[in-house]
Amino acid sequence: MNAYELNSVEALRAHLAADRRLYEPRPDGQGGLHWQTVAADDAQAFEPGLEPPPFSAKAFFFPEREAMFRFERGRFVAVEPEPEAFTLFGLRACDLTAIAYQDRFFARDGHYQARREAALLVGMDCAASCTGGFCAALGSGPAVGDGLADLVLIPGASWRLLVNTAAGRAAVSGLDLKPAPRDWTRAREQTRQQAAAEQGDAAPLLAGIAALNAGRVPPQTWEALGPRCLGCSGCTSVCPTCSCFAPLDLPTDGGLRRERVWDSCLYEGFQKEASGHNGSPSPGDRVRRYWFHKFGDGFKREFGRYGCVGCGRCDRVCPGGIGARVVLKRLGGA
Amino acid sequence: MNALALSVLPRPMRLLQRYDDGEDARHFTFQLEDIRAEDAGMMPGQFFMLVLPGCGEAPFTYVSRPDDQGRFSALIRRMGKLTEALFELQPGEVLGYRGPFGQGWPRFYGKQRILAVAGGCGLAPLAGFIEDVARTRSGTHLQVIYGARHVGARVLSRERARWSGALPLIETLDQAGPGHRQGTPLAHFDTVFGQAPPDAVLCCGPEVLMEAAARECLGRGLRADQIWLSVERRMHCGVGLCGHCYVGDSYACRDGPTYRYDRYRELLRRSGCARELDRGELRHC
Repeated sequence: MNAYELNSVEALRAHLAADRRLYEPRPDGQGGLHWQTVAADDAQAFEPGLEPPPFSAKAFFFPEREAMFRFERGRFVAVEPEPEAFTLFGLRACDLTAIAYQDRFFARDGHYQARREAALLVGMDCAASCTGGFCAALGSGPAVGDGLADLVLIPGASWRLLVNTAAGRAAVSGLDLKPAPRDWTRAREQTRQQAAAEQGDAAPLLAGIAALNAGRVPPQTWEALGPRCLGCSGCTSVCPTCSCFAPLDLPTDGGLRRERVWDSCLYEGFQKEASGHNGSPSPGDRVRRYWFHKFGDGFKREFGRYGCVGCGRCDRVCPGGIGARVVLKRLGGA
Repeated sequence: MNALALSVLPRPMRLLQRYDDGEDARHFTFQLEDIRAEDAGMMPGQFFMLVLPGCGEAPFTYVSRPDDQGRFSALIRRMGKLTEALFELQPGEVLGYRGPFGQGWPRFYGKQRILAVAGGCGLAPLAGFIEDVARTRSGTHLQVIYGARHVGARVLSRERARWSGALPLIETLDQAGPGHRQGTPLAHFDTVFGQAPPDAVLCCGPEVLMEAAARECLGRGLRADQIWLSVERRMHCGVGLCGHCYVGDSYACRDGPTYRYDRYRELLRRSGCARELDRGELRHC
């Protein structure tokens, strides 16, 4: 890992965009913030703001719809993705943690891995906390964790750049970068502590996780939360680690195309079988499942960390007001 | 392509023949065009995904293992859109196949006493196991209790006729006429536990039946690690990714559908169902 002074983030961005398609979150002029393509000659200033984009980078690797195979003249033909190299610029620590989580989950999924290998990840420490984020409580921010990105932008009085990987080094070759002063880590740590402190006391959230795993949450709590879930799939769509999908067959000329499409474990029919048997028949069952998937110790053992990265998106999007922060506090008795 | 990609891409198979075998159930024989080593290595209790182009994909268990010609059979009940269309197919038509997936029944060695408890179509996932014991005469003492709603609802008629000459097979009906045993499989546990308790119990059927059978076995002194259940869920991908078939923090397509009862209970306990488990009020997790 090498740290450099970065006189111009825009110059770095232009340099990277010259080699491969580059995306960064940008306002759409209508109050939205989306991942958009930035050309090498784009002069717009890099102004990431405090709030993360409503959608994480998940869809770059695990698209909302994706063809898996075709059936033609009695044969099944694999559809392999052929992604062009691309750069994600300005990824926050929470979303990078989520990518690392999905890297493990989809470790043997060729479609995911093909897109992942095509990506250069440029992370960014958060200079201050976003509204509602609690990444510090879950060890996924506000500073980018080691090894999660090829390059990391560090905000401060002036920008600094960490070069973490060989791919990152290759991507910045040709740029005139001067080493950062030796005490660069001290300033970074101060920013991290300050942003983490802005997120408030983590104890009530951690108490919720502890209660959940200790079996101290009575069934009535889930049954009370259940009716507040409208089954809209907002949380599962914006969650950077949610990965459930369903098969979808689409007719083509003389055959069909099988796609996999995002699904949601909060839909009533998610586990419903042809017989009518439903493994999770009540909204409370499904809400319980959702939060166990995010905070259950069994999943943590398998994937090395909890499935929630504290990005706060579910709290922002849930029309029933039962996002992670609210639910954890409720489970913990706060 | 890597192994996972291979297991996600269906292989063509043909419908060879079928015959009615129980109420709204048929016995199908299929033939794989491209046979792989893992087909012959199928363990009874595992399942495959059947792709019916245009109708989707659904999991079914094997009644017999693919032979060296790629032929195998499955017992399928008419239940939804896919099976409705499957029942209309003529021999020779091309379908898709993926598998085998999941964990099968455990292997038993030596002179162990095994009890298989099946309800309704739940006999199908046990068929390969029963067939192996009936054929090999390995010294395993296997008793089978099979419960169905009524005479016409019983499945696997040819297999049952064959097994009844080779091992103790108790058939019982919810609605029994003269000459038939009455009641659920549990009503006959006194008979099968009479001489000596089994060393292992394999259950497959509705979850209510499996849970009741497992509890009855515990009440009769068996340990939870002597009991196995085949837990059906909505498997889609077969490789533990799509999320539909979760049982606690496991996926039935990968870690099941065969679960040892102590591990199954632990999964549910870990997933917040402890109180329902303790009170015997378990619905699902």
